Order: sequence, then structure tokens, then C-alpha cells
Amino acid sequence: MKLDVPLPEGAEERAWKVVGAAFEERVPSPRERKVWRPVVVLAAVAVVAGAVASPPGQAVLDSIREAVGIERAQPALFSLPAPGRLLVESADGVWVVQADGSKRRLGGWREASWSPFGRFVVVARANELAALEPDGDVRWSLARPRVRFPRWAGDRIDTRIAYVSGRSLRVVAGDGTGDRLLRRNAASVAPAWLPGEGFRLAYTDRAGRTVVVDADTGRVLPPAAPPATAGTIQKRGASSEVVVDGRVVFRGTGEFRDVARSPDGRWLLVTWPTADQWVFVRTAGQRKIEAVSGITRQFGGGSFPRIAGWCCA
Amino acid sequence: MRAGRDERAWIRGAQAGSASDLEALFRSHWPSAWRAAFLVVHDAAAAEDIAQEAFLAAIRNLDRFDRRRPFGPWLHRIVVNRAIDWARARALRAELELVDAAAPASSPDVGSDVVDALRRLSPEHRAAIVLRHLLGYTPGEIARLLDLPRGTVNSRLRRGLDQLQEELT
Repeated sequence: MKLDVPLPEGAEERAWKVVGAAFEERVPSPRERKVWRPVVVLAAVAVVAGAVASPPGQAVLDSIREAVGIERAQPALFSLPAPGRLLVESADGVWVVQADGSKRRLGGWREASWSPFGRFVVVARANELAALEPDGDVRWSLARPRVRFPRWAGDRIDTRIAYVSGRSLRVVAGDGTGDRLLRRNAASVAPAWLPGEGFRLAYTDRAGRTVVVDADTGRVLPPAAPPATAGTIQKRGASSEVVVDGRVVFRGTGEFRDVARSPDGRWLLVTWPTADQWVFVRTAGQRKIEAVSGITRQFGGGSFPRIAGWCCA
Repeated sequence: MRAGRDERAWIRGAQAGSASDLEALFRSHWPSAWRAAFLVVHDAAAAEDIAQEAFLAAIRNLDRFDRRRPFGPWLHRIVVNRAIDWARARALRAELELVDAAAPASSPDVGSDVVDALRRLSPEHRAAIVLRHLLGYTPGEIARLLDLPRGTVNSRLRRGLDQLQEELT
């Protein structure tokens, strides 16, 4: 098949002017960085250690953080620090962010969740539940009233999607078949699949109790430990901190919203609406922080987006 | 083989700050980037913007780029995904603004039945065919570039080619 098109006159030169100028203006990453970086880090550690030793020092640090978030944040999400793809829920819809930073809006959906191996995405909006390919193509959809909190679980050959519809907890197979009512008394809280054999689902009933059910039989099961989380967000006065395995890995002024772990387990993403930033914290090996500012604007504006998952390299 | 060595040398040079190496890399990849974008969006000005933006994104991430990997797939992934997004947005506008949509987009006179027939496919089918038949990627490589199951790529190629054949007969 011949798929040739003549190049338009002057386009290459116009583009090169822009690209060349951008290259000249970019901030290079100098080789000297390897030399001076430890010095700067040591100096910063010394300053911080001295400052936090006294309450006035702590107050000064907090005020600085409040003013700027992470000071040397990137102005845009140029790339993710680890392999995998992020699923993001914003006021503008649901987005998939690739490791190279490219973003794709899947459409005007409100909530989303990855399939277990990241091949598909389940999404929900007012009266619809749908399974999409990561490029936004709809595989199947189901009309149900007031759909919330879709959650997908399973293995390579058998999966289930749990969701709340009005006051009902419902389950449908991953291929969109066998949709059925599981419980009638669900609160407006996200259900959670429990690890292990079978399809055990924890949900909150309207009395505020956590109930574990077998998603295939509807039978109520004994209480179980909640699934592990990437990290726990704790409020400490005007600050928030992220705790992993009993250790504080990141602290900042204001509110943190979500914590997600990279598929390779080496990085945490902490979302920070107060600073309108995402902060990537490397928790394996040498600690490192990379921040991105202006998050709300980058996902269509409106309100600060939520992370629905970081999946599958 | 030689081209691969040249490309790695250009990337190494560009990472070290050489504008001439970046220019060599740009000129080597601009034609395929523009053509791929054009064949998905069928609008010359938009293709220019998309290809240019893809290079700007590449520059922003140049320091992180792994020189052992080829530059083309990385660039084409950005180009084609952005082109699909643009074409979808235009389709949506066409539903809302029928009068505007009737106006022809800026386009060179390519004079090719195949290219004209391609215009009538969906952006997703166009992208699969462009990656396969213009840029020469295998279905497996296309699946990785577009983050799709391989079966989906195969079915898009098959349906796209069937539809092209119908348009051309």
C-alpha cells in the first residue's frame, strides 16, 4: 500500500525554528550536578536539622512550605518517575497518563478503576457503567441508576466488577455479563475487594458497619483485615504526613488527598491539593522527591483531580 | 545499522547540549512525524502543530531518554496519540457545529485515492494503518505503542483494510 504525502513547503523550517529555540532555552542538566548535589543535600540537611530543633524554626519552615509547596517543582507533568500508567479522575473527566507524560482524556466519566492487569478501565457516570480500552474505546456499557465506585478484581481468566447503584451493591462479570444485585443496603462508600481466594468484597452498609460478602453467592463472611494500602495519610495540626510501615515518608502543610504506589514499588505519589502539586517520593534506595505543580490546570481545571490507580508497567 | 549508530550519536550529542545533533535528529524524524500526524488528522496545519509539539515533548524529556532504545517509536507514540485526540475532538466539534465542520480542512493536494479513502475511516483505524503501512511497525509493536491488546490492533487493521478496499472499489 502506498501511503505517501508530499510535505508542505516551509513546515519543517517553521517547526525547526520553534524546536531549536526551545532547545536553546531549556535548562540543561549539567554533569557537575553529580559533584555538587551531595554537598547541597548535606548543607540542606544541616539547615533543616538546625531549624526544626526549635519551635520557632519549625514555624518558619511550615510557613515556607505553605507558601511554595515543593519549591523546585516542575511546571508540568513531563514524565512519571517510574514505569506504569496513572488513572486520574478530574472534573473534566477520566484521564490516562503514560510514563512519558502524555495524557489522554477517556471522556466525560466521573470515576474509574483499572482492570487487574491494566488492560482495561471500568468507568462510571451518573447512570452508566462501562468498560473501556485504555484509549477510550467502549467495550461494553450498562445503564444503571446513580452509579458510583466501580472496582475491578480478579485474575487473567475471571474477573468481577463491584459498584454501588443508588443504595444497592451490585456485581457484574468483567465482560459485562451477569450483572446482579448483591446487597440492598449499601452506603455511599467505595467497596473494596479483599486479597486471597475467591471474590470477597468488603462494603459499608447504611448503618455504617463494614460487611464482608462472597460476591458470587452473596453469603456474609467473617470479618477480615482490610486490604493493604500504599500509605496512610495522617493529619497533624495544620500539617499532613504520609506513613508507610510506621515510618513518616513525607510531610507538608495543609491537606494530602491520595497516595498511590508505582507498579515497581519504588515510588509513592502523594497528591497535595493545598499546594496544587503532585509529589513523587522514592522510598526504595536513596530517598528522592520530584514534584509537579499546576496539577488542576493540567487536568482541565475546575477541582483538584484524584488518583484512581497507578498500574502495570 | 549505520542509521542506528548515527541516531544514538545524535541523541548523546543533544543530551550534552549540541544543537547541531538535535537538528540532525529533528530532520531525520520530521517527515515521518508530520506524515503520520497528517494521515490521522487530514489537516496539514494541525499535523504541523502535532508533530512540532511531539518534538517539544521529546526535548523536555531528553535527559531521561535511554539512548539504547530507538527514538522513532517514542516520538511516533506521542504523535499518533495526540493525532487521535485531535481527530476525536474535531469529530465532536463536527457533531456540535455542523456548519463549521462542512468547511474543508487545510490539506495539501495529495492526489491519492488511498489517502482520500483513509480519510473516511475512524481515527483509531487510521492510526493503526498508518503505523503499520507508513511507519512499518508490526502489530505487536503497534499494540505496545498504543497500549492496546494485540487482538484489538489486529482487528483494527483488518477492519480498516476491509473498509479501505470497499472505499476504493
